[in-house]
Amino acid sequence: MAIGLKIPDNTAFTAALALRRLGIAVERVERSEIWFFEDEGSALIERVKADETIFNPNKHCVTVFEEAVPRSGEVWIEPLEPRTGGAAATAWRLFGPSEATLDRESLGAAAERLLCNPAIERAVY
Amino acid sequence: MSARIAVPVFPGTNSEDETLRLLRDCGGNAELVHWSQASNLAQYDAYVLAGGFAYEDRIRAGAIAAHDRMMDSVIEAAGSGKLVFGICNGAQILLEAGLVPGTGSIRRPTAAFTRNAPAPHFVCRHVYLKLAIEPARCAITAALPEDAIVPAWAAHAEGRLAATPEHLREIVTGGHLAFIYAHSTGAVDQAVIPNGSALGCAGLVNREGNVLAIMPHPERDAWNFNHLDRREGDDVLATSGGSALFRSFVQALVSS
Repeated sequence: MAIGLKIPDNTAFTAALALRRLGIAVERVERSEIWFFEDEGSALIERVKADETIFNPNKHCVTVFEEAVPRSGEVWIEPLEPRTGGAAATAWRLFGPSEATLDRESLGAAAERLLCNPAIERAVY
Repeated sequence: MSARIAVPVFPGTNSEDETLRLLRDCGGNAELVHWSQASNLAQYDAYVLAGGFAYEDRIRAGAIAAHDRMMDSVIEAAGSGKLVFGICNGAQILLEAGLVPGTGSIRRPTAAFTRNAPAPHFVCRHVYLKLAIEPARCAITAALPEDAIVPAWAAHAEGRLAATPEHLREIVTGGHLAFIYAHSTGAVDQAVIPNGSALGCAGLVNREGNVLAIMPHPERDAWNFNHLDRREGDDVLATSGGSALFRSFVQALVSS
């Protein structure tokens, strides 16, 4: 499950500016938190929305993945040391001109040069 | 003309005033340089990166600032041998910029000051830093005595040194472990480490010895009014306070 912001995301905007400065042709960045649940299908979204612990309906949107893998143009940054009580990863989805998602090479450059500190994190594509 | 020290101010830096004041009280010719004045930075002789939350710690603490135009000048200056000293968020920026421990490439970090452990909480605690290198190994510590103890305040949620086992070995074997947490007596044990930092690390130095990054704030235990062993006469430097490290920094500029 990815929980992102439906209000303006200043961090994603800053990341886009910094990536452009690094020469990576990114027009827009989406950021979300990745949570893993062992739960039953569509009821999960309703439970998460009702609970409001990790989801605030005034500012968040939620996406459920059929498979636990990043979407096109997306990299997940996971801590090397597993965290308890927090999101499993931060997802960064990068878009270029005409809303096309960035290719794997550009995504790798973005992770290596800014989004991932390999001393404490790993990038999952 | 005495050497000019720049205290770069990023959006979100918040400890620049006390850092500047302590540099001046220790005899340094220091000025604030704001992000809009980045093109002026190259003309300075030394740099002190103060604490705070540059760019709100977006992505990771120090990550955006490490790519800021101001850091272009600081990185170039460090490469030419000028002194660079980072405190707290300034230290995080130096790690993200790859300047310390300096075992990788520029802007390719090999270590991080990251989320405290075991509890990932903000820590505000008085600490003592013990010099873990020969004083002359780092130009900034050269005027300190061997095994110097520097009082300071740890005030961070992300001050734990973390790196892969390989890079931690490099930090030790390369003599990059500049300061460790200790008791006021100099004794060292796990209880004095406020954040779970690997190696008990409180500060790192680069190979050349001209870039130093420390997490706790010596400038918050410097004058009598904020010294732990508070005395009367508020507005003067406490003789046993954290100003010793700043004096050593300024002394290094005079010596060079």
